[in-house]
Amino acid sequence: MELFANLAHGFVVAFSPINLLMCLIGALVGTLVGVLPGIGTIATVAMLLPITFGLPPVGALIMLAGIYYGAQYGGSTTSILVNIPGEATSVVTAIDGHQMARQGRAGPALAIAAIGSFFAGCVATVLIAVLGAPLTKLALAFGPAEYFSLMVLGLIFAVVLAKGSVLKAIAMIVFGLLLSMVGSDIETGASRMAFNIPELADGLGFATVAMGVFGFAEIIRNLDAGAEMSRDLVQQKITGLMPTRKDLVDSTPAILRGTVLGSILGILPGGGATIASFGSYTLEKKLARNPSRFGRGAIEGVAGPESANNAAAQTSFIPLLTLGIPPNAVMALMVGAMTIHGIVPGPQVMQKQPDLVWGMIASMWIGNLMLIIINLPLVGIWVRLLRVPYRLMFPSIVIFCAIGIYSVNNAPVDVILAGVFGLVGYWLIKHDFEPAPLLLGMVLGPLMEENLRRALLISRGDWSVFVMRPLSAVLLAVAAGLLVLTVLPALRSKRDEVFTESEN
Amino acid sequence: MADTMGHSATATRNTKVALGFCLLAIAPQIFELIWSIGTIFGWGTGRGPTAVVISHATALLAGAPGALIGAASGDTKKVSSEVLLALIYSYPLFVVAILTFFMTIRSAQDYVGGVVLMAVALFALWAGSDLQGMRGFSFGAGTAPRMFGGLLVALSAGIALTGLLTDGPPMAHYSWRGPLFVMAGILFFALAIRPLGLVVTGFISFMIAAAGSQETRWLEAAIVGACLTLGCAILFPYVLGLPMPMFPRFLAQ
Repeated sequence: MELFANLAHGFVVAFSPINLLMCLIGALVGTLVGVLPGIGTIATVAMLLPITFGLPPVGALIMLAGIYYGAQYGGSTTSILVNIPGEATSVVTAIDGHQMARQGRAGPALAIAAIGSFFAGCVATVLIAVLGAPLTKLALAFGPAEYFSLMVLGLIFAVVLAKGSVLKAIAMIVFGLLLSMVGSDIETGASRMAFNIPELADGLGFATVAMGVFGFAEIIRNLDAGAEMSRDLVQQKITGLMPTRKDLVDSTPAILRGTVLGSILGILPGGGATIASFGSYTLEKKLARNPSRFGRGAIEGVAGPESANNAAAQTSFIPLLTLGIPPNAVMALMVGAMTIHGIVPGPQVMQKQPDLVWGMIASMWIGNLMLIIINLPLVGIWVRLLRVPYRLMFPSIVIFCAIGIYSVNNAPVDVILAGVFGLVGYWLIKHDFEPAPLLLGMVLGPLMEENLRRALLISRGDWSVFVMRPLSAVLLAVAAGLLVLTVLPALRSKRDEVFTESEN
Repeated sequence: MADTMGHSATATRNTKVALGFCLLAIAPQIFELIWSIGTIFGWGTGRGPTAVVISHATALLAGAPGALIGAASGDTKKVSSEVLLALIYSYPLFVVAILTFFMTIRSAQDYVGGVVLMAVALFALWAGSDLQGMRGFSFGAGTAPRMFGGLLVALSAGIALTGLLTDGPPMAHYSWRGPLFVMAGILFFALAIRPLGLVVTGFISFMIAAAGSQETRWLEAAIVGACLTLGCAILFPYVLGLPMPMFPRFLAQ
């Protein structure tokens, strides 16, 4: 019954007035920025990272977690009302959600998205609490070799689940690994690839690169299309938020399936919310008695993916909290935030910082509850926000991002670097490279190098250590198997099918 | 007729792509040259432009071939970093550029993407070439960068090959206005925040960035920019407690 004691402790922490306030602010601000089209979750979290600096660690992380699922929620609002997915995870929500909105059923679509998300969030919270402790024990059995293999597996997962060319995704990861090596070497202190620029001696800031590649690059890309994007905003007033009894009956199984699928995919390293929502949509379409309804406003097409992405968003905290390995780019940003507050993510966090871990877990549940209570009445405000023209929004975002980056280190060079990475990101988009694996590679780079070095040092330079230790061998075998499967043509076409769902 | 026209179109584009790669091959040298112009006016320390041109030209034309011949005859003399740059970065890219002339590019997006990424990897290999490698079974500072750099060269070569072997999309269209003005706004912000403070810098950067779209209405943008600057000036230093210069230095004194 340690579990309940832990959870109770978490709720005590999370219900302290200051943490409740942090949770509320985080959820609201996250939704606010997430609603703006063209800013995804990653950019939102990166952009709002500096506003948590002045807070105590627990409050800061609670707020960041709030920003994260708030942004998820805001993204789905945008895709339902405007048909511009605010982020990758709500691409599929846009298909049926927007159709529903055009049929005048925007209210039920938004409500079912919120209800599905809340349910999935509840399940995921319990799952984190249940799985947290045993996984932490497992993590103690991990040596450097196992850690290295696990990270390889995570990166391979990221490749398998990324869309488009496998080769390009791997190249992006390796590019990220290389970028992570700029700066001082951890062990020898030698300056690597820094060209005697003092600002680079500390390495490229993770938030800097994220903001450049996801924030600035997105803005430039959106400007390409012309500032006045064809915004298909639903103009009529949204009436009748409550879904009908039939809606609820239709969507309940979809929510359940989405939650299970999302929870599993979220725990896997490299997975996360995007693949969960795509997977759930495909699953619902396959299972439906009448698949032709999909794309014409089927409520299951909203309920399933929304539950799945929220479940995945939350269970992806599990590898972070227990193993210290971020499974996706947002979690990678969380690592950055934790490090700034002097917390090293890993198995020891659960024991050393119970306030932080359990407080954060409990706050997730509270945050989801807040989102459902606050946001449904606030839909009107979000709609008004969507009417702000992009020509006014984009310079505001640029300035806000610039101030944000500057305030991380009070370093003007960081702002210039983010700009440069904005151009890099623009180039990557133009050549159809996915930036998310790059970010993941960049975060895992130092961890991977350190564990690789340590493993080889312990084994006296014998590379067979990675296949001789059983746990490590299994992890590597799974990684290799996955990679082979992905390259096989049969699965490949299926994988493409999942990702082209949004286009037809 | 249509066929020949199509052929000549690819031929001209190939020439352009190949010339672009040649330029890419000496891009670091050109960058250093531009940087060195600053020393004429006394900015920064480093070699003057003439010294840069001479050292790189000799490295490209004489030093690198010399080092190659030297290596072939078993002479392991320490070579300068310019020669290494020519050997590791420029020469492989020149080879790729020459090969490009004779290739049919079936997907320019992949081919160019792969080659540019390869250039980045080669550059990283050069940048890490001064670092220590393996010492016995323990990693040196340069081991991991070299490992991943090599891997990236191989992967990007693979991507470039895909661009040659399979059909795919052509080069995407780049626009200049958005990137130019947004970057100019960011650059101005970075350079001006320390001396001019948040209030002035924020507003001017906003206006510069706003020029990135044709649809900007100036009066409207100015009003929003002023409000946003004001909001940020209250939010960041006071509400969030982040230290930040607010007003121009010369006014504050």
